Amino acid sequence: MTQPFLSINGIRKNYGNVTAVKNVSMDIAQGEFMTFLGPSGSGKSTTLYILAGFQDPSGGDILLNGQSLLSTPSHKRNIGMVFQRYTLFPHLTVGENVAFPLRIRRRPQAEIAERVKAALKLVRLEGFEDRMPALMSGGQQQRVALARALVYNPPVLLMDEPLSALDKKLREEIQFEIRRIHQETGVTILYVTHDQEEALRLSDRIAVFSQGEIDQIGTGPELYSNPATRFVAGFIGDSNFLDATVVTSNAGKAKLALGDGAVVEGVPLHGPSAASSRASLMLRPERLSLSRVSVPSGIAVTVRDITFLGNNVEVSTATPAGVDLAVRLPFGHEAISSLARGEQAWLTFDTASAHAFA
Amino acid sequence: MAVTVVTGAVKTKRGATLGYLLPALLLIALFFIVPVLMLLMRSVLEPEVGLQNYKALLGSTTYLRVFLNTFLVAGVVTLVSIVVGYPVAWLLAIMPQKWSRIVLAIIILSMWTNLLARTYAWMVLLQRTGVINKTLMGLGLIDTPLALVNNLVGVTIGMTYIMLPFVILPLMGVIRTIDPAILRAAALCGAGKMQCFLRVLLPLSLPGIAAGALMVFVMSLGYFVTPALLGGTSNMMLAELVAQFVQSLVNWGMGGAAALVLLVVTLALYAVQLRYFNPARGT
Ligand SMILES: Nc1ncnc2c1ncn2[C@@H]1O[C@H](COP(=O)(O)OP(=O)(O)O)[C@@H](O)[C@H]1O
Ligand SMILES: [Mg+2]
Repeated sequence: MTQPFLSINGIRKNYGNVTAVKNVSMDIAQGEFMTFLGPSGSGKSTTLYILAGFQDPSGGDILLNGQSLLSTPSHKRNIGMVFQRYTLFPHLTVGENVAFPLRIRRRPQAEIAERVKAALKLVRLEGFEDRMPALMSGGQQQRVALARALVYNPPVLLMDEPLSALDKKLREEIQFEIRRIHQETGVTILYVTHDQEEALRLSDRIAVFSQGEIDQIGTGPELYSNPATRFVAGFIGDSNFLDATVVTSNAGKAKLALGDGAVVEGVPLHGPSAASSRASLMLRPERLSLSRVSVPSGIAVTVRDITFLGNNVEVSTATPAGVDLAVRLPFGHEAISSLARGEQAWLTFDTASAHAFA
Repeated sequence: MAVTVVTGAVKTKRGATLGYLLPALLLIALFFIVPVLMLLMRSVLEPEVGLQNYKALLGSTTYLRVFLNTFLVAGVVTLVSIVVGYPVAWLLAIMPQKWSRIVLAIIILSMWTNLLARTYAWMVLLQRTGVINKTLMGLGLIDTPLALVNNLVGVTIGMTYIMLPFVILPLMGVIRTIDPAILRAAALCGAGKMQCFLRVLLPLSLPGIAAGALMVFVMSLGYFVTPALLGGTSNMMLAELVAQFVQSLVNWGMGGAAALVLLVVTLALYAVQLRYFNPARGT
């Protein structure tokens, strides 16, 4: 087995009796774009800060090319980082900010000038050398920070919600730039965000954080089509949840009773399973279908509302027990014209696209 | 038409503001500006009309020595205050609020303690048979007592102690505004502790250093009690000279001239600070 480029092994971090990070492990390949995605307080920043050397872990190890990083202080790790807050040195010009890491490394003047120019070109801020940071917009400042973090060719670049202070349009613009820079430089990036869309747009793989632990690591499509936990299912993409009871389970597939006599078979089941234990059935709105005529395996629902959303139509429905289920039908779907608010309909789905979580 | 109305309103408003300020302005004029003008008059009128007092003051090596010594003491006190005060301010800025409040309270309490009491306390501590000399001798670090009082050392120690809060408070204020994330960024850029300090922390705290230094320097220039009690006869300061002229020699002309020279230097320094380090204008 080849040795992974960057390896996070069982990292833990306690603050007094608060556990910020429980047990985080992953291997990251060289040149990979890995995103830590999770809600606020789930331990993403803490993990990143341990990588940067700002915090010592309570346990575990971090290996870069097989060598532990933990005994190396921050300033010797040669890692790049872009922060959530604006961290340009306010007393230095843009050019001097980007030159800073090279000056610390005592590079010759000519080389510094050349590399600063190249780094600013990379972030499309050529000619801004003499500008003071305070006179630049937030997006420009973060791009300078990116240039400063890349100018010394670090093997790993850390980014802690670098775009969260920017408005949506600017955010998308810079996401695109980050993607381009990742492709051009081939630098390994560890990126933190709580925004699933951002994670899906940027990443090769996503690690979903929940309460200090990683629930699942995978590509966007993997997390979407095969979520390992109810949390991941709820965090990536849209989802409906229905209470169910396991009737039988066999080789990871379950037969579930949904109450009202409805039974579905062959649903992938995640988690410990025992007959008659409770489970939660996850259905993607865009994988559901509606029919006006009774279907034997269908779930009887009442149509609450129909909303036209351009390329698709969202139908809000409710089960007799009062659970809301959203259904997204492609525009032009045959059922749409026959549906009306307050009427009965039958909801059907491909059981392989559903997931049950025990 | 509208314009006239607006101008009228502004005029009335400005007039009203002036009206409110008038008592305060009169008070300042009566108790500060008038005495200074009187002193200025006496310095050019006594014993006869002319600049002879200023000539005598600036032409004599004895008096020039006093000027020089005044600047020396003020300079040394300022430097030592900054060097000692900076780490304290930094610690206060980064320590948890509940601790920094207590330390600040102690520092401010010391400012409220009587100046004479604090200076006499230093006299007792620093004298040949004082606690400091006794301790050092007891530890075998020195054989004969150090001359810590009645000289520049005594003045520097006593005045630095009094001036420290005036550098610690503005410095702490400025250091608190520096985002720790900026220092983290510097660290990841490769800057060790010393580089972080020299290239980032120090330049960013310059406005605080300037404000504290100016305050201490200006206050030190006119200091009287501490130099008189802890200093030797060979290093007299300007305020002592003024006191001597007025009290012992009853020479208001020379006393006024010396005081005005001090005032002019102080105002010049203040102008420099306003020009280059005024936080309101951004540095
Ligand atoms: N310095 C600290 N002291 C105490 N608790 C902390 C500290 N830093 C983070 N935490 C706690 O650790 C948990 C994880 O924080 P963090 O890693 O910042 O989460 P995220 O970046 O995912 O929002 C949170 O509950 C937070 O309150
Ligand atoms: Mg965070």
